[in-house]
Amino acid sequence: MSRRLTADELRRRLKGTSGRGRKLRGLVVLLAPYKWRVAAMFAALIVGTAAALAPAPLAKKAIDDGILAGDVGVLNLVVLAFLASALLVWLGTFLQTYLTGWVGQRSLQDLRVEIFGHLQRQPVAFYERRSAGVLISRMTNDVQALSSLVTDSVTMLFTAGLTLIGSIVILLALDATLAGLVFLIFPLLFAGSLLFRIVSADAYRTTRETIGQITAYLQESLSGIRVMRSFAQEPRHNARFAALNQLNRDANLATVRLNASYFPTIEFVSALGTVLVIVYGGYQAIDAGDAVQIGTLTAFIVALNGFFDPIGQLSQVYTTYLSGMAALDKIFELLDEAPTLEDRPDARDLPDPLRGELRFEGVSFAYDTSAGAPNALSDIDLVVPPGQTVALVGATGAGKSTLAKLVARFYDPTSGRILVDGLDLREARIGSLRRQLGIVPQEAFLFSGTVAENIAFGREDATREQVERAAATVGATQLISRLEHGIDTEVGERGAQLSAGERQLVAFARALVADPRMLILDEATAHVDLHTEAKIEVGLRRLLQGRTALVIAHRLSTIRQAGRIVVLDGGRIVEQGTHAELLESQGAYWRLYRDWAEQAAA
Amino acid sequence: MVTFKRLLGFLAPYRAGVWWSLGLAAAAMVMTVSIPFLVGKGIDAINEGRREDLLLLGGLIAGAGLGRLGLTFVRRLIAGRVSLGVEYDLRKRIYGHLLSLELAFFDRQQTGQLMSRATLDLQAVRFFLGYGLVFIMQSALTLVLAAIAMLFVDPVLAALSLLPVPFVIVVATRYGKRSRPAIQEVQQRLAELTADVEESIGGVRVIKAFAAEGRQNRRIRHSSERIFTQAMVSTRLQAYYNPFIAFLPQLGLAAILFFGGRRVIDGTLTIGDFTAFYAYLLMLLGPMRTLGVSLGQAQRATASGARLFEILDRQPAILAPDEARTLPEGDGHVQFEGVWLRYEGSPEPALKEIDLVVPAGTTVALVGATGSGKTTLVQLLARLYDVTDGAVKIDGADVRTLDPDGLRAEIAVVTDDPFLFSATVAENIAYARPDASREAIEQAAERAQAAGFIARLPDGYETRVGERGLTLSGGQRQRIALARALVADPRILVLDDATSAVDATTEAAIKEALGDVGARRRRKGGTGRTTFVIAHRLSTIALADEIVVLEAGRIAARGTHEELLEVNAHYRAIVEKGLPDSVFLTRKPREPQTAGL
Repeated sequence: MSRRLTADELRRRLKGTSGRGRKLRGLVVLLAPYKWRVAAMFAALIVGTAAALAPAPLAKKAIDDGILAGDVGVLNLVVLAFLASALLVWLGTFLQTYLTGWVGQRSLQDLRVEIFGHLQRQPVAFYERRSAGVLISRMTNDVQALSSLVTDSVTMLFTAGLTLIGSIVILLALDATLAGLVFLIFPLLFAGSLLFRIVSADAYRTTRETIGQITAYLQESLSGIRVMRSFAQEPRHNARFAALNQLNRDANLATVRLNASYFPTIEFVSALGTVLVIVYGGYQAIDAGDAVQIGTLTAFIVALNGFFDPIGQLSQVYTTYLSGMAALDKIFELLDEAPTLEDRPDARDLPDPLRGELRFEGVSFAYDTSAGAPNALSDIDLVVPPGQTVALVGATGAGKSTLAKLVARFYDPTSGRILVDGLDLREARIGSLRRQLGIVPQEAFLFSGTVAENIAFGREDATREQVERAAATVGATQLISRLEHGIDTEVGERGAQLSAGERQLVAFARALVADPRMLILDEATAHVDLHTEAKIEVGLRRLLQGRTALVIAHRLSTIRQAGRIVVLDGGRIVEQGTHAELLESQGAYWRLYRDWAEQAAA
Repeated sequence: MVTFKRLLGFLAPYRAGVWWSLGLAAAAMVMTVSIPFLVGKGIDAINEGRREDLLLLGGLIAGAGLGRLGLTFVRRLIAGRVSLGVEYDLRKRIYGHLLSLELAFFDRQQTGQLMSRATLDLQAVRFFLGYGLVFIMQSALTLVLAAIAMLFVDPVLAALSLLPVPFVIVVATRYGKRSRPAIQEVQQRLAELTADVEESIGGVRVIKAFAAEGRQNRRIRHSSERIFTQAMVSTRLQAYYNPFIAFLPQLGLAAILFFGGRRVIDGTLTIGDFTAFYAYLLMLLGPMRTLGVSLGQAQRATASGARLFEILDRQPAILAPDEARTLPEGDGHVQFEGVWLRYEGSPEPALKEIDLVVPAGTTVALVGATGSGKTTLVQLLARLYDVTDGAVKIDGADVRTLDPDGLRAEIAVVTDDPFLFSATVAENIAYARPDASREAIEQAAERAQAAGFIARLPDGYETRVGERGLTLSGGQRQRIALARALVADPRILVLDDATSAVDATTEAAIKEALGDVGARRRRKGGTGRTTFVIAHRLSTIALADEIVVLEAGRIAARGTHEELLEVNAHYRAIVEKGLPDSVFLTRKPREPQTAGL
């Protein structure tokens, strides 16, 4: 996907990359409210890790000073110390796990709420530029990746790091030469580990991709099963699925091969370490004639046991760190974007209740403000007195919905101004406008919840009574009573459980419960059955009564009843008047009407 | 238990691999178990100053390690192949089986549920069959062999030091049992949050319109809080169990130090054997945990397996008969004889006593209120559902005696909300006939009045549409679906509210084009094509040769437009309403880029 790099983009990218400091600062800011817990977490971590290193030196002491020296007293002490350190490890691990989980999850929650709040502040234009999938991904996948970074990686980094350093120190303290020999393997091991991680990261990514494809294909097959059966295309889909299945198998086979090579090799190197200890260490011990050395050797073997794990873990931390940082990048990019349409600092509230007078003065608007781009609206002058229904008519793309969007202040005009009750919308608080403005879009969008909840959505503090009254006013009561649980019936995702007509009526009731003085309505074009159609017409009439309304009209009945019809063409108003007036003048409207009537009669 | 055995059945094709895996694992375990033994001997040799033995012992340890490396490498490859093979087979079977089930099954299921079975449950089963079983074998074997070695040297000490082992296994299993559901619940709540976010983004205009940002923020905060609460449940489980499971073996090690140490001092145990004991217990730390975890896995796999078998055990209800005939020659003469249809689980029959003859080449319009049975009736043609009583015959043959694929090739349905696959426009149009020529595709598109807007799409016919492609408007999708049906060139065409989102002008053009194609078929020497039309538009209905009015599953009236006007009240009501060309659009329809408000 190619994109032109605008100045804005560039600035953003630079801010992103140069921002390692920014990212770390951002992380610190995120964790700051919990700094005491974070401190406690590190304390527990250090205590636990240190205590976990105890067994090796203790074993040495037990053998050299206890067993081989025949001193039972020392042995007893060592056993006690051993148990004590084991208990410390228990305590330390418990605290550390709990605190890490707590801090991690809390800060994630904070981040989610912040990102979402930021998204909500953005104007509609922001959403039209971006795909929903990307935004959702920010809040879900990217926050999850960060979660792994914060919780798993950080602790693993410190635990593994401390354990490794601790082990190295202990081994050196026990016997520097032997330790040195053992450490020769170390760089090789680390390099091999890293190599494995990088190569397998690629392999794992491929397996994730292929699994993603399989899942998507399965999902699609289930969604389209009816079409598949109708056209009897099952064999083809089976074949395609088999191909995807095979791809996934091949990808997984690659990871199997990698794992089969890596893990046994690590085990082998560990065994080699043991060989070194026994042979070389053994020679040293015998030649030096010092039987006490045995304790050291045993301690070595014990220490080696816990030596190789941290190396593997560290290389794992690296890959998680990379994806976590990438996610952080994307999240900050989003948070750094300021909303382009906001209340001015000196914004006033619109009078409540509004009279409902709407004025357009020389309004022009273009979606694309670069030079040469056409205007969506040009020189619109319109006065709508309170309580009048204006029907907007015109071909698709003539500017009807653009006009409506400007009234709802989803956008600001490029020139000219829009006044409600004499107040320029740009000087008014957006919230105060929208609370008194009802909007009914073309396709009624319902949220998952009950019918009552959806209707109540139109108003912050809607009471059950108000909800039922709105439903009754719009004529939806009978329809609702036929539903399984009446007004408390779940409508499903996006209202899927209701028919298109039923959704429309609920949307009407929703707009009504807020009792707005002004209304913007985009008539639905889908055909519904006769019965529902009749109900919708009635509901519509009731909705429009006594309110200033701007209707993007498709139904002739609506248009005919409008107080004024405004005909738009190419972003300009070409005609205004009542149905009768316009028919008489035999202009654009008359021509539209005539064509339509011809078809209807056919 | 039965389910468990059935699950093992999936390993049957890979029997050889499984046995090799086990054999290699056993051999590798022997190598592993021998190392602490050899280390112990080495320590003894050092203690007794037997320098010459050290090199041999060192070589043996290295040899054991190398042997283990080789054996494990091969074992992993084989086991890996087995596991992947099982996964491949399982997936293939489930997918193929789902595709063979009748539509009535899908009416009752949620896609999400089916997806969960085909992905999560499948994963649980294959992890277990592929790895879990092996882990159980390996861990159990290691434990047993190590225990034997230790018991051989010093039974009492062995008993004392191995005492924690059963406890670790039990606790680890308990942890597994409790933590999995906790984690799954976290996933569930994450999914809920995602759904909420999706809704908020999809409905942003509505939210802004009603100034409801604050409310949405609260809603998301609530969902997030739920995730936190559940994540903490999981964290607490981790914090309690993990350190506990790690602590228990330490008791065993302490026992070795205490008792074993004393015995060495007393002389009843060599220092080498002491070291061997210690090394053995260290070696058992891993297998102890693994056994516990794997046993938990076994339980989950059985539960998942049961859910999978629920699907796999279902027999498809609509099958091709044993001696399926091909559809006889003809042009789509349709007979409904005494047809009754009752959906499973529904108290009322959807269709009652339908007797209808549709002569080949005619157009029949089905009219009636929502739920009166129109769509149900046409679905019987392609045997998407089977009648409860009576028979449906096409060109004289009962559809149940026919080969379903052949039958469906001659029937095409266009619905009002057509599903397009994630593929190019051309591929979607050619769906029924993947080998259709480009010419045929474009011709069909022309007739369906879709060629115009397709040309204006970003990549024309190669534009990807469907779920993961460009979103088309309802009218655009309907026209592509129409083109799709035309490419299939069927004997019977069903238009179920197929032009509801298309404006009047375009619809008229479509009708004309359909008429043309019908005429062409007639000229070829047949009687054209039989068309079923379900619509609410007067203009569409009035053109049919016959109109059938359905009410509550029965035929209430039939006849031509004029006849019905006189006879049927419902029909009159439709016409008088002046119904339907209520869509007042203009001569030059252009598809909207930002569809409305």
